[in-house]
Amino acid sequence: MLRRAHVLFILVCAALLGGALLGCAFGFAQLSGPEQSAADRSLAIVVNLSNPVSGLTTGDLRRVFLGERGHWPNGRRITLVMLESGWPERNAALSGIYHMDETEFNNHFLHGLFTGEVFVSPKTLSTPEGVRKFIFNVPGAIGYLRASDVDKTVKVIRIDERLPGDKGYKLHVPQRENR
Amino acid sequence: MGREKAEAMPDTSPSAAQTAGRFSRYSSALLLFFIFCAVTVVGLFAIRDLRRTDVQEQNMYTRSVQSLHRIADLEYQTQETRRSTLYSLSTADSNLHVKYADQSRAADHLVSEGIAEYLANARTPNEMDIGRRLGRDWSSYLSVRDEVLASILEGSTKEAVDLDLTRGVESFDQVRQDLAEIERVYDQQASQQLSTVDATSRRTIVRVAGVLAITLVATIASVWTIQKIRMTGAIQLAKLQMEFVASVSHELRTPLAVISSAADNIADGLVKGADDIKKYGAAIQNQSRQMTELVDQILLFSATKDRKNEAALRSLDVPKILHSVIQQTSELVRASGFQIELEIEPALPPVRGDATALARCLQNMVVNAVKYSGKSRWIGVKAFLSHSQFGGRAEVQVAVRDRGIGIATTELDRVFEPFYRSPAVVAEQIHGTGLGLSVSQNIAETMGGDLTVESELGAGSVFTLHLPIAEDSSSQVPLETQVDGTTEK
Repeated sequence: MLRRAHVLFILVCAALLGGALLGCAFGFAQLSGPEQSAADRSLAIVVNLSNPVSGLTTGDLRRVFLGERGHWPNGRRITLVMLESGWPERNAALSGIYHMDETEFNNHFLHGLFTGEVFVSPKTLSTPEGVRKFIFNVPGAIGYLRASDVDKTVKVIRIDERLPGDKGYKLHVPQRENR
Repeated sequence: MGREKAEAMPDTSPSAAQTAGRFSRYSSALLLFFIFCAVTVVGLFAIRDLRRTDVQEQNMYTRSVQSLHRIADLEYQTQETRRSTLYSLSTADSNLHVKYADQSRAADHLVSEGIAEYLANARTPNEMDIGRRLGRDWSSYLSVRDEVLASILEGSTKEAVDLDLTRGVESFDQVRQDLAEIERVYDQQASQQLSTVDATSRRTIVRVAGVLAITLVATIASVWTIQKIRMTGAIQLAKLQMEFVASVSHELRTPLAVISSAADNIADGLVKGADDIKKYGAAIQNQSRQMTELVDQILLFSATKDRKNEAALRSLDVPKILHSVIQQTSELVRASGFQIELEIEPALPPVRGDATALARCLQNMVVNAVKYSGKSRWIGVKAFLSHSQFGGRAEVQVAVRDRGIGIATTELDRVFEPFYRSPAVVAEQIHGTGLGLSVSQNIAETMGGDLTVESELGAGSVFTLHLPIAEDSSSQVPLETQVDGTTEK
């Protein structure tokens, strides 16, 4: 039994070492396989670099995304940014933040805008790059991106004090199939 | 003899004629060389200025074109920045909003680069100021642009339009004014450079014209000078020839008159008795000898003038020739009541020369001393070994000294000129052709030597014959042969 554990430990170490070497083969700047995989599976909530907010609770995040809050603490108007239907990130946001499906989401905003309960109408972009650029251009914008799509032009905020990749981070997105 | 002086020319001189001869001999080459130099200098100046103008024009063109491109690019990209921003207003599609925002940001990035390039190339404080002002105004506009873009992307179109109208238009106009200012500065610089090129071009033309004018004037002056010198020489020569003819006529007429008179007296039977006939015969003989001597002198001058007798040069013994000359002139010396003091340095080396010519030369010097010694009645002849003043080579010198009337310092250079006779000599009625010293100097120079003079007015003169030492003394000619043909006085 003890011998089998040793063998398993050695195999795990070898796998880690192999992964590290493979990572080195792709370049030091790139994330290693497991880290890359984690970044690829996490859904990051991103805001404009000028936004002073650095973190939200899950509840605040949901209220923001539901359009129930119109402005940030600095007075900037909140602009929601969504990806078009069909993107795994959108599905992950609907399930992880809204707890709704597409129909419920559409109904929520139609109804909310009609009744005045919702202050913000989400902007829909066709690509993650569009989302990132939109948020870069609009100081009050907030959206979501696969963690691996995030760059320095936007700011990732903590959700319940956790960043994507942290243990206990709740927002995940299925890994890309074409990778 | 040699110091038989003709009247000096008041306005021209034989030395001028000699100078004219030498100058005219090389005048064409000198003139061509001068014109060549002048044209070369003009050409170099012209080429240098043309090249400078060309470089300036190229620089001006390059700089103007670059400046125009730079300002045009800046203007286009600023317009593109604003245009792309405003295009966003024409759609509600967020994807297109992002696309237009990207285009606007790409354009503003190029504008920022253009401003940085302009500042890097700015050379004057004014350009720097304008560049910095443009940078500030452009940043100010970009901050408005960012807000307009944000409003458009947020969907607040009205807010975006209001913002653009209230702040964007003003900021952008400021940028356009800055660009217009830069364009004005470029125009001013181009005008200044054009003025510089124009000034350089004008200066080139003036310089070329000036140098050409100087060349023309100098050429005309050279030609005029050459012609004048030639004309002066010709006039001088003609005058000397006329004086020579007059002098020779006078010298011939006197003995002819004596001979004619004596012959008439004999023919008319006025001369009776053996003593009278002998006396008249001696007079005719004496006058005939004077005429012969005069003709010989003229012929000798003509012969020595071309200096083509080098083939006759031999190794000569100076003491022997000197003794012979003293002997030949002894009759004249005695008749004139003179005393000759002869001093010959022992063991003198042979000299190179023509015996007849050397004897004639020495004879001229002795006779000359007799003619101009005045009342002192003393002549000193000294032969010695010495070294020449120029080059220091060894030579035999024969100095003939007298204590006569001497020569004025101003005339020392002229006594060797053919036909020259000083006014003082003419006034004292000392007859002569003015050829003796000239002939002697020609003889000396033909033998590779020289004839020099030192004199003090009223104290006497020393004429020194410089004779080069013969390199080979084996070809020495016997004395009888050496002195053959010398003319006795």
